[in-house]
Amino acid sequence: MGRRAEASRLAEAVGRRQSDIMRDLVELESKNLVKVFRVKIWHVCLSPDGRRYLKEGLPEERLLKIVEAQKEFPSVKELAKACGLSRNEFAAAFGRLRKYGVVKVVSGKVIYSGDGVEKLLSDIRRTRELLENISECIHVRELPEWVAELKRRGMIEVAESRVIEVEATETLRELLEAGRISEAPLITRITSEVIVSGKWKGAVLKEFDLSIDVPVKYPSRKHPYVEFLNHVREVVESMGFVEAKGPHVETALWNFDVLFVPQYHPARRESDVYFVAGETVGVAPSDVLERTREVHERVWKYRWDPREALKLVLRTHTTPVSMRTIYSRKEGEYRVYSLDRVFRPDTPDPTHLMEFHQLEGIIVGKHVTFKHLLGFFKEFAKRLGLGEVRFRPAYFPFTEPSVEGYIKHPRLGWIEVFPGGMFRPEVLYAVGLKDHNVAAWGIGIDRIAMMVLNINDIRDLYTNDVDIIKSTPLPREVMR
Amino acid sequence: MPIVEVSFTDLQRLARRSINSEDLLKALELMKGEVEEVSGDSIVFEASHDRPDLFSAEGLGRALRYLLGVEEPLSTSPVSEDTAELRVVNPPRYRPYAYISIVKGVELDDEAIRQLFQLQEKLHATYCRDRALVSIGLYDLDKVKPPIIYTSVSDGRYVPLGYSEEMSLKEILEKTEKGVKYAHLVKEGEYPLLTDSEGQVLSFPPILNAEWNKVTPETKNVIIDVTGTEPHLMMRVLNIVTHAVLERGYGKALIMKAKVIGGVPDNPYPTTPHLEGKLFSVHVEDVESLLGLRVSTEDIPVLLKRMGYAVTSITSDGVKVWVPPYRVDVHGVVDIIEDLAISYGYNELPTETLPPTHFSGRSSIERLTRTIRDIMVGLGFNEVVNFMLIDPDILKLVTDEPFVTVANPKMKTYSALRNCMLASILIAGKVNSEKMGEVEVFEVGDYVIPKQHDAESVRGMAFLLMGDKYTLTDGLVTAKSVALTLGLKYRFEPYEGKPYIRGRAAKVFLNDVEVGRVGEVHPEVLVELGLTKPVVAGEFNLTKILREIIERK
Repeated sequence: MGRRAEASRLAEAVGRRQSDIMRDLVELESKNLVKVFRVKIWHVCLSPDGRRYLKEGLPEERLLKIVEAQKEFPSVKELAKACGLSRNEFAAAFGRLRKYGVVKVVSGKVIYSGDGVEKLLSDIRRTRELLENISECIHVRELPEWVAELKRRGMIEVAESRVIEVEATETLRELLEAGRISEAPLITRITSEVIVSGKWKGAVLKEFDLSIDVPVKYPSRKHPYVEFLNHVREVVESMGFVEAKGPHVETALWNFDVLFVPQYHPARRESDVYFVAGETVGVAPSDVLERTREVHERVWKYRWDPREALKLVLRTHTTPVSMRTIYSRKEGEYRVYSLDRVFRPDTPDPTHLMEFHQLEGIIVGKHVTFKHLLGFFKEFAKRLGLGEVRFRPAYFPFTEPSVEGYIKHPRLGWIEVFPGGMFRPEVLYAVGLKDHNVAAWGIGIDRIAMMVLNINDIRDLYTNDVDIIKSTPLPREVMR
Repeated sequence: MPIVEVSFTDLQRLARRSINSEDLLKALELMKGEVEEVSGDSIVFEASHDRPDLFSAEGLGRALRYLLGVEEPLSTSPVSEDTAELRVVNPPRYRPYAYISIVKGVELDDEAIRQLFQLQEKLHATYCRDRALVSIGLYDLDKVKPPIIYTSVSDGRYVPLGYSEEMSLKEILEKTEKGVKYAHLVKEGEYPLLTDSEGQVLSFPPILNAEWNKVTPETKNVIIDVTGTEPHLMMRVLNIVTHAVLERGYGKALIMKAKVIGGVPDNPYPTTPHLEGKLFSVHVEDVESLLGLRVSTEDIPVLLKRMGYAVTSITSDGVKVWVPPYRVDVHGVVDIIEDLAISYGYNELPTETLPPTHFSGRSSIERLTRTIRDIMVGLGFNEVVNFMLIDPDILKLVTDEPFVTVANPKMKTYSALRNCMLASILIAGKVNSEKMGEVEVFEVGDYVIPKQHDAESVRGMAFLLMGDKYTLTDGLVTAKSVALTLGLKYRFEPYEGKPYIRGRAAKVFLNDVEVGRVGEVHPEVLVELGLTKPVVAGEFNLTKILREIIERK
């Protein structure tokens, strides 16, 4: 075994702190040039009592003197009082005197016999020697057996610490002996001064240890949910759609009546729609009002009330945007989408919100059919990475046929995500579109966003917490 | 959507065929029903709102008979020769219409009565708008003395259904559960009443029937009444209930019509129920132009009969179809074509992806939004997202401008629409206020400004700098950086007003158009919001930047 050196000493020798050279030692060890040991060191030090005993004498030493000087036999109590020792010290010292037979207790009186004094004095000498040897402190790797007793008597204190020790390996010795190791300046950080001065020539540029982890620095981020919505916009646009916008506060006319929803329909109840407070009455194009009245009264056969239609609501879906688009563009071949917020009375919980996003779209044309709608859903799912789509019959008041598209959720199984259909002739009549078909859908995009962003609580989509926003990884679906 | 519970045993009795549960689940899918629970003999499913004829076992059993080919649909309903009478004498002016129909020859048991009761309740809850528009009643014909009379009274007495002692109409409104619940539908002094010819009370519609004439397992002949305000809706409901009761004759029952004597002059139905149904021509061309599916004239009858349509004739280019009166969801050919598609199988239909034929594109406001978000993130801000629905108290703290409030909110926290972005960004500040160090966030979103007849949606951007090191200068730096990156001239003028500190806020002009404000938020506002660190905030109107600067150039 070679000689070991403490790392702290080595550090001192090169003018650094121990913590500064630890990385170097680890590196040298990884090259098998040194061995690094982590060693436990015991620190045994005199306690304040121990120091005092050395000066004033051990308690048993002092008690012996007092006992020897007594003329009569005192009681234990009297002796304790007379000796000037603390209670604990007296108890320990008196015990030792009895142990060696120096005193006996007969009928409560302390009788000095003089026996065993030599043995006691030799024990006292040994204890004194041990304490004197400690002087202030000793540092040992293994505790001597006498430490326990002195510690019990409160004469010493024991602490432990660990030190790093370094030992040169055979390899290092051989390299040294062969003259293969020479001193060279080590550069850990290249600075402008190093480059300009030429110091880098002949210097060792320190290698980096890639196994050591580095801290993370998150960038300022766009909100992951907004990023997802823009990704969806790109996907829909790649399929030939143009974006449209519409107001969040709508008349019931565009939100319901135009869509052939009778005024007594349960979807129009206060539990299902937010109504705007106050007296404001909406306005609407008279031709739309008149055709809507006519079609409701002809088909549903009830008294249609224009005041009900001009009430203001927070739109419950984005379909009014499609309706307004068809009304203004009329006949032609076009594809329009919108992706914005809609509102429905609800109390927020992990699966419900009173405000969420809907992706609305229409394909308008003379030869547009239901098969193009089904085809759109399949292609859209493919481009969003959602897999296979299954179709089921569904009911919406404004489309016929109506369909609900299902995709396979990794946890929940088949879930409904794509509602749509062909706008009813009554709906197209109300907005004045002739001889054309319209395939339409209104997708609650939040549910798909939760799948893609791997979020289980819908409220987390709308998080404000910067830490969460910064640390949310971008999903593969969005990066593609 | 109504939740309907049926018994498997009862369903097979009505379908007149043994059915395994797998077939039933498939059939329900074709009828847009969604199975909620199957346990023992009970099946609970969510019926589609457009198919009230399926709100009970009777209609479902009938649909299964056609779907499984047990029976072919006929183009008429079975009607008896004789007719009954309903006398409408001085009806309540606010609820002037009443119709009845009679079904003779039924066999009832507890399950059948439970189903008919369920149908009645589900119809009341949906189509009848909680009895406001239509109210339905069923009675034992053999216990009453025809003709039936519909009238209005100021008071009367009878033993209501489920009670043992006689009560006055007023007592019924006060003491019974239904009375309390529906009292708002009747007017004092003009209570609707159905009696028989001897004046015995059948019902106090739309509140409560009588005990003595209720339908029991011994009942052989059933009277059905509907009273209400919308005659056509009432007739649709009467047809559904009449045909459901008819099913309880298991092929042997007959409908007896009734003449309406008296009543309002504009009554559109002198004889009830109105059983004509509807006739439509379905052409091969119609099917193809809606579905993109080519079927033959031979295929159409096969597909449609399964869905309960009676095919009356086949022509060279299509078929003539009779729609039974209980199929109230069918308004036109498109509804029949949907059923044809369902019968064909949605997953068997052809699909086609249209290739893009036009230039696609983002709306200009979304393009500007994208640019602004890039700039803000580049400046080191984090993007946050808030709801448009907001606590009105926060808006009042931040601005004196008017805003839209919701008449029927569920929570005060979400009872107004934001009229600026600033309020939202302060909420984001609050959410992040416990974080170490500085907070720099922004949000782009829509807010709503009330107008005379509507409300305008505006796109805005707000930002917030929170921490001891910020002053107005940092806000101005942000505004200037945005302006110069957009290539616009900027100018600041002092601004005084909510929620900023006087002398430490500015109006922002881009190309001489005022588009926003920046300032140090007043400590009073911060304390009110529960914020303890200084906040510099600002807001830009992006819609204005787009319309008045970018698009004007």
